[in-house]
Amino acid sequence: MATDFEFRKQVLDMHMSGVIKYCYQCNRCTDNCPVAEVTDNAYNPRQNILNALLGFKDAIFSAEKIAIWGCTICDTCDEVCPQNIELTEIFKLLKNHSVANGDAPDFYYLQAKTIFENAKAIPSQPAIERRREQLGLPAVAAPDVNELSTLLKNMGIDKKLKGE
Amino acid sequence: MAEYKMFEGCLIGNRIPFIEASCRKIFDKLGIATSQAPFSCCPDPTGFANFDNDGWLAIGARNLALAESEGKDIISLCNGCSNTLKLVNHTLKHDNLKKDKINKELSKIGKEYKGTIDVKHFVSVLKGELEKIKNSTVKPLSGLKVACHPGCHYMRPSEVMETDDPMHPIDLKEIVAACGATVVDYGEETLCCGSSVSNAYEDHGMAILKKKMDAVKKAGADCLVVNCPACFQQFDGKQRDLSKKFEEEFKIPIFYISELIALGMGIPADELGTKFHRTRVSDILEKIG
Ligand code: SF4
Ligand code: SF4
Ligand code: SF4
Ligand code: SF4
Repeated sequence: MATDFEFRKQVLDMHMSGVIKYCYQCNRCTDNCPVAEVTDNAYNPRQNILNALLGFKDAIFSAEKIAIWGCTICDTCDEVCPQNIELTEIFKLLKNHSVANGDAPDFYYLQAKTIFENAKAIPSQPAIERRREQLGLPAVAAPDVNELSTLLKNMGIDKKLKGE
Repeated sequence: MAEYKMFEGCLIGNRIPFIEASCRKIFDKLGIATSQAPFSCCPDPTGFANFDNDGWLAIGARNLALAESEGKDIISLCNGCSNTLKLVNHTLKHDNLKKDKINKELSKIGKEYKGTIDVKHFVSVLKGELEKIKNSTVKPLSGLKVACHPGCHYMRPSEVMETDDPMHPIDLKEIVAACGATVVDYGEETLCCGSSVSNAYEDHGMAILKKKMDAVKKAGADCLVVNCPACFQQFDGKQRDLSKKFEEEFKIPIFYISELIALGMGIPADELGTKFHRTRVSDILEKIG
C-alpha cells in the first residue's frame, strides 16, 4: 500500500485545533457507530481513520462507496474518541474528494444543484406558501439566488455539479 | 430581551411550516422577539458540507454576515441549521487563514464576515426560560408520558455546540417536565434517527430507526418529542414504511417540542396545524383535553 504524502498532509491539516493527534486503533469509534452496527462493520470509521492518517489514498477511494458514504454524521465518534480526534472533519475531507472524483452518491450532486439554482436545499412552492398563509405565517424572506450562485461560481464549485 | 434574527431553515419554512407556527406562538407568549432576513440555505451540514467544505463555509458565513449587519444574534429552529451556523462561526473565528480566504470571496459580492454574533438553537433559549414556561402553562400535560429525542446536532460536536451534555442530554427533558408531562427514559436517547445515511442507503437508515422505535415502544411512551425538522420527518414520515418492512406496527405520535409547550399554554391544536402530522395525534390531543 502506497502512502500519498500530499493527501496525508491534507488529512493532518484538517484538525481545527491544529494539533496532530494519534489514533491508537482502540476501536471505540466503531464500537459506538450506529452504522457500523447495522452493517456488520461494512462501514468502519476506525479503518477510515487508519487509512487516512497513513495517507492510503487508493485504499480509501477504490473501495465500495459505502466505506466513505455510510456515515450518518451523528458525531458520536468525535465524542467517544479518547484521543479527541475530530473524525467527522477527516471524513468530510474524504467525502469532498469523492465528490470531486465524481464518485459520490447522486443525492449530494442533486442537493448541491438545488442550492446552486434556488439558494435553498428545499425551494419554496406555491402549495406551502398558501399553507403558511393559512397558518398565519409571514412569507419566507426570499434569498438572493443570483448573489449565491455568483459566490459559488467564483469559487469554481459549479464545475463539480453533474450534468453541467 | 433583545430581538433575534429568525432562521427557520428551508425544511421548516418550505415544507413543514406548521412547526414554525407553534414556535412563533410560544415565542410571542414568552416575549422572545424575532425578525426575518433573506437567509439562504444554511447550508446542510450533512449534505452540502460533504460536497464542498469551502463552499459550505462561504454560504454559512454569508448568512452570518446578514445577521451581523443588523447586530443581532440568530435563533434557529433546526438542529442542522444551528449545527452549520455554529460550526462555520467557530471555524472562522479560530482559523484566520480560512477566514481571509472566505472573506476574499465574500468581498466580491459585497459582504464581509466579522464574527460578531452568536447563534442559538431555540431549545437552548427555552431552557433559560423554564420558569416562564411553567408559569404560562395553563393546561399542564399531566399523565402524558413523553420520550425525548434531542437529535445529534443539538449537542454534538460538544466543543462547538456548547449546549447540553453530548451523551447524556437533559435540556429537552427539563422543558417537557416544565409543561407538566412525565419524561420516560428509553435508553436510546442519543441514538441518531438515521436520516442522513438514508440519503444514500435507505435500508441502513431504516435499521437505525427500527432500533430507536423499538426502544420507545418498549418504554411505553405515549409520544416522542423532537427539536429538529429532519428528525421529525424521519420519525413522523417513515413509521408506516417501517411497519411494512418489519411486519410490526409502529405508530408512535411525534411532536415538536414547541407544539407540546403550545398545547400546555392552551393554544388550540387547529391553530398549530397538528392535522398535518402523518402519525395520528388525535388520541393524545384527547388525552390532554
Ligand atoms: S476512537 Fe479514536 S483513537 Fe480509537 S480507533 Fe477511533 S479514532 Fe482511533
Ligand atoms: S459520525 Fe459517522 S462514523 Fe461517527 S459514529 Fe456517527 S455514523 Fe459513525
Ligand atoms: S439544515 Fe437542512 S433545513 Fe436547515 S437550512 Fe440547511 S438544508 Fe435547510
Ligand atoms: S437525529 Fe438525524 S436528523 Fe436529527 S440531528 Fe441527528 S442526524 Fe440530524
